[in-house]
Amino acid sequence: MTGDDRQYFEEIQVGDEYLSPGRTVTEADIVAFAGLSGDYNVLHTDAEFMRTSIFGERIAHGLLGLAIQSGLGMRAMPRPLATMAFLGVRWRFKGPIKIGDTIKVRIKVVDKRETSKPDRGIVVLQRVIVNQRGEVVQEGETDIMVERRQ
Amino acid sequence: MEATRYFEDIGVGEVFRTPGRTVTEADLVRFAGISGDHEALDQTRGEPGLPPTVPDTLVVVITSGLGFRTPVPQAQVLAFMVLEWRFLAPVRLGDTVHCRLQVTAKRGLKEGGVLVEKREIVNQRGEVVQEGEYKLLVARRPQT
Repeated sequence: MTGDDRQYFEEIQVGDEYLSPGRTVTEADIVAFAGLSGDYNVLHTDAEFMRTSIFGERIAHGLLGLAIQSGLGMRAMPRPLATMAFLGVRWRFKGPIKIGDTIKVRIKVVDKRETSKPDRGIVVLQRVIVNQRGEVVQEGETDIMVERRQ
Repeated sequence: MEATRYFEDIGVGEVFRTPGRTVTEADLVRFAGISGDHEALDQTRGEPGLPPTVPDTLVVVITSGLGFRTPVPQAQVLAFMVLEWRFLAPVRLGDTVHCRLQVTAKRGLKEGGVLVEKREIVNQRGEVVQEGEYKLLVARRPQT
């Protein structure tokens, strides 16, 4: 198919790795995310309250990290996967993302398996979000259903 | 009545239903801007004759906030620890989703406690489109 440069199941190798550019998380991202999600928890929206907390300042929503890494992941892969469906995610929020932190995502193909249907397989991606100090702030696995060439 | 509850107030097995939220084009556009995932902005991709699907992660995001709008307040969240989630069916522009939320486990810590919430995202046809678990660190009642 002309113009289709996606990676099909056959071509994806366990061990394939990608690293995204960095993205600095800003107060604007947090404010916009509170508006979109409806999550106005004081952790993210009350700077005075957070001064006295263990974090000392507002922190980003955990799911903001997940959302940003989904976009960073697309920028990390010059040829996107031939994705049919996003099946699931197992995600761990390990440390805070603070205003001004710069995050990148490292993606690695850790498993691939055929299914009973010949036109599709499952690829498991491990994704790790690191900040500017090299600390892992979030990580997890995403299960993707990927097209197989027939 | 207090506007928030704490770890001690939460009963395992409580089930709550949140209000619904209609997924709109504005949500799609805002999510594209926040995430940097612009693929979904091409509404012509996908099956002709059906409304365009929205990114699955967008649905996770907007239903996360629905958890704050249960008839009885949930516990004060200190941190989101773990998300385990399955995407069962696509969600399309114009769908209205709500969340069924049930606390399935709780475990006290010295500072705060851990709650496990089972959540199902249900569309306007009663179909469960997404489901999974939130593991949350929540606050203990402050000592006065």
